[in-house]
Amino acid sequence: MQDLLRYAIREAEALGASDAEACAAASSECEVFIENNDVKQAKSQTTSSVGIRVLLGGSTGFYSVNSLTRSKIKDAVSMAIKIARVSPKDKHNALPCKSKASLLQGIYDKKAASFDASDAARLAAEMLGIANSYDKRVSVDSGNFNADVLTHALANSNGIDLSERASIFSWSIMGMAIENSDISSFDFQLGGSHFVNDIDVRAASTEFARTVINSLGPRRIESFEGEMLLTPAAANEMMIEVISHSINSDAVQKKSSHFAGKIGKQVASDLLTVDDDATNVEGLGASSFDREGVPHRRNIVIEKGVLKKFLYNTYTARKDGVRSTGNASGSTSSPPSVSTTNFVVRPGGSSLDTLISEVKKGIIISRFSGNVNPVNGDFSGVVKGGRLVKNGTILHAVKEVMVAGNVFEALRRLNGLSKERKIIYDSILPYMRFDGISFTAG
Amino acid sequence: MSNDGHVIDSLRSLISSSTRTSYVEARYQARLTTEVNFVNGELERIRIVENAGCGIRVLVDGCWGFSSTNNMSLLKESLSHAISAAHVLAQTKKNKVKGLAESKMATGTFYTSSDCNLSDIDIEQKVQVAREGEKAARSNRAVKAASCGYRETLDYKAIVSSDGADVEIFDSKPEFSVTAIAKRGSQSATAHEGIGVTGGWNDLFKKSHLEYALAASERAARLLDAKHVSGGKSTIILDPAMVGLLSHEAIGHTVEADFVLSGSVVKDKIGEQVANELVTLVDSGRSEIANNAGGTIIVDDEGVAAGRTAIIEKGILKSFLHNRESAMVFGIESTGNARAFQYDDEPLIRMRNTFIEPGTDKLEDMIKETKHGYVVKGARNGQADANGEFMFGAEEVHLIQNGEVKELMKGASISGNAFEVLRSVDLVGDEFQYDIGTGYCGKYQPAKVDGGGPYIRCTAVIGGLQ
Repeated sequence: MQDLLRYAIREAEALGASDAEACAAASSECEVFIENNDVKQAKSQTTSSVGIRVLLGGSTGFYSVNSLTRSKIKDAVSMAIKIARVSPKDKHNALPCKSKASLLQGIYDKKAASFDASDAARLAAEMLGIANSYDKRVSVDSGNFNADVLTHALANSNGIDLSERASIFSWSIMGMAIENSDISSFDFQLGGSHFVNDIDVRAASTEFARTVINSLGPRRIESFEGEMLLTPAAANEMMIEVISHSINSDAVQKKSSHFAGKIGKQVASDLLTVDDDATNVEGLGASSFDREGVPHRRNIVIEKGVLKKFLYNTYTARKDGVRSTGNASGSTSSPPSVSTTNFVVRPGGSSLDTLISEVKKGIIISRFSGNVNPVNGDFSGVVKGGRLVKNGTILHAVKEVMVAGNVFEALRRLNGLSKERKIIYDSILPYMRFDGISFTAG
Repeated sequence: MSNDGHVIDSLRSLISSSTRTSYVEARYQARLTTEVNFVNGELERIRIVENAGCGIRVLVDGCWGFSSTNNMSLLKESLSHAISAAHVLAQTKKNKVKGLAESKMATGTFYTSSDCNLSDIDIEQKVQVAREGEKAARSNRAVKAASCGYRETLDYKAIVSSDGADVEIFDSKPEFSVTAIAKRGSQSATAHEGIGVTGGWNDLFKKSHLEYALAASERAARLLDAKHVSGGKSTIILDPAMVGLLSHEAIGHTVEADFVLSGSVVKDKIGEQVANELVTLVDSGRSEIANNAGGTIIVDDEGVAAGRTAIIEKGILKSFLHNRESAMVFGIESTGNARAFQYDDEPLIRMRNTFIEPGTDKLEDMIKETKHGYVVKGARNGQADANGEFMFGAEEVHLIQNGEVKELMKGASISGNAFEVLRSVDLVGDEFQYDIGTGYCGKYQPAKVDGGGPYIRCTAVIGGLQ
């Protein structure tokens, strides 16, 4: 694979490119789908693709093709050059230089090579069996078990020449509980690991079944102001996109980040510490280098509520006169953008049970269905799988409750984080509790 | 676009060579995507992506197996991977697939009608519309940030199945969108304009790219000074885009047969009144009523002719949306809703163009007959749940008082139960438009869809900030 990438760079330079980058990915995956309380289909396939980026006097061109043959790569290079010729110049366009990189241990399991569709089928069936036997009112609408071995490689004209392999096992389950005419809200749970021995479908499946059963028999409530306890999944839906957007240098430069100009300032309760950490191998976003070949590292973004840094790729870093933080992102089919890798919220000191027992009046939210504005932080939506808590006791499921507020204000009102955390693909999150939240009866 | 005559021949010989399967389908797809995006005066992204290969799906002993390859010389190997995959479910699958419904299998070659082929337009011109659109979106002085993008997908597909599908399809779907953000102090307001069609360059730009950009620019500036809506249940006139979003998101997903089978709210309601009799809600693979709808497919990805399906006819629930497998369970023909995004995706039940048919009311009369209410325009993101509860964002709201449109108000959210909202419909406009053609629907894979309708008057809850 790396020979082909070096070939692409030589070709681009021969056609007049001042700089060139070639990025390739190959995947071998098997997947079993679940539909309507049964396994539905098994899939087994390999894919591969390459993305070519060239710079030509400050202009950039990009072409991607899902083939790793010399002739296709040659055509892709000449098309990328053609595109660069019609693109406007931008003095910040540049490729990173070679730097010392070491490969991360703990993201590839040798056992993945012999893991096949029959293993995926067994685990999908196990996941279904656990949900259906938890309670006969549980109905699984869909789900999957996926095993993927990914190889990615990157080379550029500054001498970067890297390649890495990772194994990723991931699974999901979605559905509702049905009791006569009472249909609960959807719930969706997922899990993932890099190692065969760490595969645990039971946790996701049980959590899903428990959540949908708990949201049967919902009652209307009066509007009130109180505490909001978000599950990791709900925190992911309501909070994380806004924080990720606000710490992204691209959003800062485009003046759409609420955190612009706030480095060193308190932006959240001192309970909150956030790392962007591709080196945390628990997260499925773990890898050794970013989409441009810059080594990954742990970036402390928010420490005890204080904003520490923004996340950069090479282009946005040049604009601000700083160094890339290793956050160039994207697949082979796009030029690099900027994004978080593993979004890690450090755990709190209390157990989930303690967090619940301390609530005077509030709602535990399993899922949030609504709109979140990443620019100004406003959110409004419907509470899903919500349960009313009074004086530390969970009373009953609630229905048609709207919740609205502002993420940035809420982060300052964060008053509890659980010890327990969940891995939601590339987020590692605890339960998060906030006070002063308005709930409106529908 | 690749149209190697050998492709379909190699699919045909693969299908005829397959002996160990009760059904086999081979679907070759070559897709070329071009995308140009400008933000705040700078090129944000330009790319062309070529993605081609063949997906093979088999049914063996009532179990589905799927495999794909980007190497057309490995079709036989890919077929045997698909067969092995199907075998692994033999032990675990409880309800084996009984068969696939007899359906109108398509044969022949189909072309999207295009006024000016996209492949005849130089990349320079595509860069130019995005650059000029972004610049024009900043023409109003209140607008401080803008973006504009052009995107096209060109597809060549060949589908051959052991049940008689034998088609080649040439499709072309361009889209253009522009966003303007006006700001003053801590206030900001966003306006989007855009269009996505099935067709060619001139089908996309019936109105010039600058017209969209200037409209977004001007509206963002006006929204800056607009007041917030006071929330509550109200009479609401939805614009065609909102009608499309409601039809797709809140009704359409509940009638997808895979979802019906796992317990959707409409499970036992065929033949029942679920909406006001003024409402006829349709999902069609064709571009009914108006041309160039963005979700148009001539043939679905099982090779079934993709026609018109009335989901609700005059208020009565008539049909779910099917692929051949679910149609067999319900004892009917497939409605042609099996769609796969790329060659390496398997077909799933997906919508196409989803809309409410026009009625007889004039918009001006609908407004005149409204004592107090709102005209709600510009569909934004939306969510809907298993029980029909939905919440959608709208970009602009116009207050109606005593039969007259008064001031423009800031965007708001609309929520309610979709079926209750459809029961509350009392006026249906006579002009029809598709207007969510820049949207993609997500369900494990993306799908290009469209939706629309006339203006309709109904009752729903309005409120919340956007």
